[in-house]
Amino acid sequence: MRGRPLGIRVAAILFGSAFGFLLSWGQFTSPDRIRDMLLFEDLYLYEMMFSAMAIGFVGLRLLRRFHVRALISGDLVSWVTERPARNHVAGAALFGLGWAVTDSCPAPIAGQLAQGVWWSIATMAGVFVGIEIYFRWQERPVRSARREKQSVSAEPATAQR
Amino acid sequence: MEALQSRPGWYVIGPLIGLIVVGLMATINQRIGVMGGYSNVLERVTGRTSELSWRWWFLAGVFGGSLIWRLLAGQSTVPNGFGWLTRTFDSDALVIALLFGGGILIGFGAKVAGGCTSGNGLGGCSQGSAASFSATATFMGTAIAASFLLRAVT
Repeated sequence: MRGRPLGIRVAAILFGSAFGFLLSWGQFTSPDRIRDMLLFEDLYLYEMMFSAMAIGFVGLRLLRRFHVRALISGDLVSWVTERPARNHVAGAALFGLGWAVTDSCPAPIAGQLAQGVWWSIATMAGVFVGIEIYFRWQERPVRSARREKQSVSAEPATAQR
Repeated sequence: MEALQSRPGWYVIGPLIGLIVVGLMATINQRIGVMGGYSNVLERVTGRTSELSWRWWFLAGVFGGSLIWRLLAGQSTVPNGFGWLTRTFDSDALVIALLFGGGILIGFGAKVAGGCTSGNGLGGCSQGSAASFSATATFMGTAIAASFLLRAVT
């Protein structure tokens, strides 16, 4: 992202606030509503989610079609997509399990905390621990690969790129 | 404000959220995502990065917006207990442990999958990303199956 760090920050806060407000109003922050959704007893949240996706899908295509430049960051609106890989499915399966147990996901957890629902502190603490576990897991192979390299090489300092 | 205490039609909230997805791309060319905010602040605190990005400010906004709703509505969306957990288990410690464990799955799983309900579900699907479609179908399917299973055994 180029320039205008303040503008970018303000946009992020404003859109984030609107998002938090709407999620709370739509009661996406209520574990009972989420459970009713997942047990198909209440379709409201599906309708809310899928209509949001539909509007997003059409809107983003229009932005790209008309080569719109992002108002604040100034770059051409564009994105790259990934093909499905094992990590998307495996990670999402774990995520779904956590979602079903807590009936919360990252945005609603922040919303619950803001609403004074103190149970969310436990969920949020878990989220941070989960992210930390991910980073350590990601960082470990690099470290051990380096160690292997060092033990294999006779001149560790020069052998490394 | 009483109007805020009950949900408006989904056709009000849904499309407005869709406009947030579009608005973020139209102003700062970024895919909506909440998980990234948690990750960003953790990376900042643990010294993995030196700056707080827009993602953190977006998460701060989610908190702020929910707080504004709470103050205007005069009530919380979770007035008593916490869903099926506190209805099923008497022990608060057990509920906290389950929330904490579930949180770990959410944090780790979303990082592995490259997004949460908002990042993959709203942002990625709006972008037409096949990876996000597969992730969204998987977490919806898993959560639905797990919820039916949990209801059956508790």
